[in-house]
Amino acid sequence: MTDFLSVSGLNFSWGENHVLKDVEFTMQRNEVVAILGINGAGKSTLIKCLNKILTPKSGKILIEGNDLSSHDLVSLAKVMSYVPQTVRSSFSMNVFDVALIGRRPHIRWRISQRDRDFVSQTLRYLGLEDFAFRRFNQLSGGERQRVIIAKAIVQNPDLYLFDEPTSDLDLKNQVSIMKRIRHLVSPEMGDKSALIAIHDINLAARFADKIILFDDGKVKSYGKPEDVLTEQSISDVFGVSSMIMPREDDSSKIHIIINNEIEEREYVMPKIDIIKSAELNINIGDKEE
Amino acid sequence: MDSLSQKHIESSSLQITIILMAALATTVFGFLAIGIGSSEKLGFLNTAKIILGYCGGTPTDFDIIWRLRFPRILMGVVAGVSLAVAGALMQGCLGNPLVSPLTLGVASGASLGASLAIIAGVSIVAVPELAIVANSFLFSLIVVAIIIQLGKYRSVSAESYILVGIAITFICGAIVSTLTYFASDAELSQLTHWSFGSLSRTNLVTTVLITVAIVILLPTAMVWAWDLNALSVGGDEFAITTGVNPATMRRNILILTAFMTSLIIAFTGMIGFVGLAAPHMARIVVGNDFRKLIPCSGVFGAFLMLFADTVGRTLFAPIVIPVGVMLSVIGGPFFMYLLLARRGR
Repeated sequence: MTDFLSVSGLNFSWGENHVLKDVEFTMQRNEVVAILGINGAGKSTLIKCLNKILTPKSGKILIEGNDLSSHDLVSLAKVMSYVPQTVRSSFSMNVFDVALIGRRPHIRWRISQRDRDFVSQTLRYLGLEDFAFRRFNQLSGGERQRVIIAKAIVQNPDLYLFDEPTSDLDLKNQVSIMKRIRHLVSPEMGDKSALIAIHDINLAARFADKIILFDDGKVKSYGKPEDVLTEQSISDVFGVSSMIMPREDDSSKIHIIINNEIEEREYVMPKIDIIKSAELNINIGDKEE
Repeated sequence: MDSLSQKHIESSSLQITIILMAALATTVFGFLAIGIGSSEKLGFLNTAKIILGYCGGTPTDFDIIWRLRFPRILMGVVAGVSLAVAGALMQGCLGNPLVSPLTLGVASGASLGASLAIIAGVSIVAVPELAIVANSFLFSLIVVAIIIQLGKYRSVSAESYILVGIAITFICGAIVSTLTYFASDAELSQLTHWSFGSLSRTNLVTTVLITVAIVILLPTAMVWAWDLNALSVGGDEFAITTGVNPATMRRNILILTAFMTSLIIAFTGMIGFVGLAAPHMARIVVGNDFRKLIPCSGVFGAFLMLFADTVGRTLFAPIVIPVGVMLSVIGGPFFMYLLLARRGR
């Protein structure tokens, strides 16, 4: 069977800084895959290489056996949609119109009734019906995040790419969004998949089918959460000790307790003699003898 | 039908109706404006009768209507539409509400071209009557071409284009200042007069030719409406993942707006305010959906220009105050009122 997404030998550099090093993994349909790693490990860069925001130095990305390089931006936007960490608007539109932008790869100019109804249903699905005609930039961070997810759903892709979807959300909304993502890739919503760059190790363990553990631009390990997230691998990648136990509500999933005691370099604040301004006795225009 | 879809249709229909009503009002105002002028004999009624053939006017009446007033009104409409649409496109593609069609150096290029023709006597055409027009048109385009090329070296972000545009504006400004330092009083007067911005410098033939060119260019502006929506909501990365290539779009929009703006200001001189204010006024009425914002900006631009020119022609008649001056005098405070009233809400 052909893999839905296959990435091999992917390299990307910012000048001399080699960010992605021979990244390799595969994904199947109806899967949620979470990418975990420290800041700067290359999680977001990997996602941006997949959707052509960035151009990889080398490597192959295949979607259902088709080389991604053969897709132009419009056909790529029909296959994958992207939810960035934050969105900076220069001119704000109302929520309905923002979500409607998701139809842009599918239409030339005219909006059909089907397009409008798709947007309406998606806004209701995400609990945004009361905000539909409010301005996007007047919403809270969490509400805005949901609007961008609505736009991504309206795009009707096969693969959702999420870059830190929970970073700006409160605890309740973090779980709520992850549940929505889980539902979006369920068989009842079609054969869709999601790739999520995320920091919260427990949300990843709870909601992802597989985890890519990223370390210094390389895939350190890839597989089911319980296989990838071990006390040793967490210590190696994140530099923290942890304790892993089964989740209380679902014993097939794991829960990770991070030890607060972390090994950290001791920083010494240099002692600075603070001189009161009055003692400085500065006379502008005076020349040094 | 879903109630949200229904509400969206209703709100869109209302906005389209407003644009059509504004277009109708502008057209009616345009016809009325032909009947306004310093000639007391040619008021609304007499002008209408002569145009419709109910009464034969003197050759002078015909000249006033068809050689003076009509080209002026038509040029006002075309200039207003072009500059306002160019302003909306530029603000959208550069993601900056402070941008106008003259921001990226089109004005400084035109100034440089006009100064070279007036002061240094350097022109790309041998016909003296066309020297200023041809120079300002060509130099505007040259400046924009340089900006597009330099912008490429520094990546093709909106900020790069704006910064390079500012740098080029300073360079052109320095050359113009140097030229004016050596200019005679007569040359200085001519340059100052050119820079005012006026609708009286075109005849019927050139006005019609400009109108045809702009009518051909305008539909192109609508091609990017969806793409500009994506770009203005989420920036370059958001647009790319919606199927838009922001770098290509930005370059193409700059080329189109450069042509539209250069063509107008080569004949009218500096009229900048309408390109900044009309898109913002349109935004208050139809929001930021560029599918409606672009036509609405055009209609508002035409109305602003016609209104300012008509007031300028009649306020101290027979003295005519240049439309560029009137636009700033009337439009500035009105624009501030709209922005403050909107904030208050």
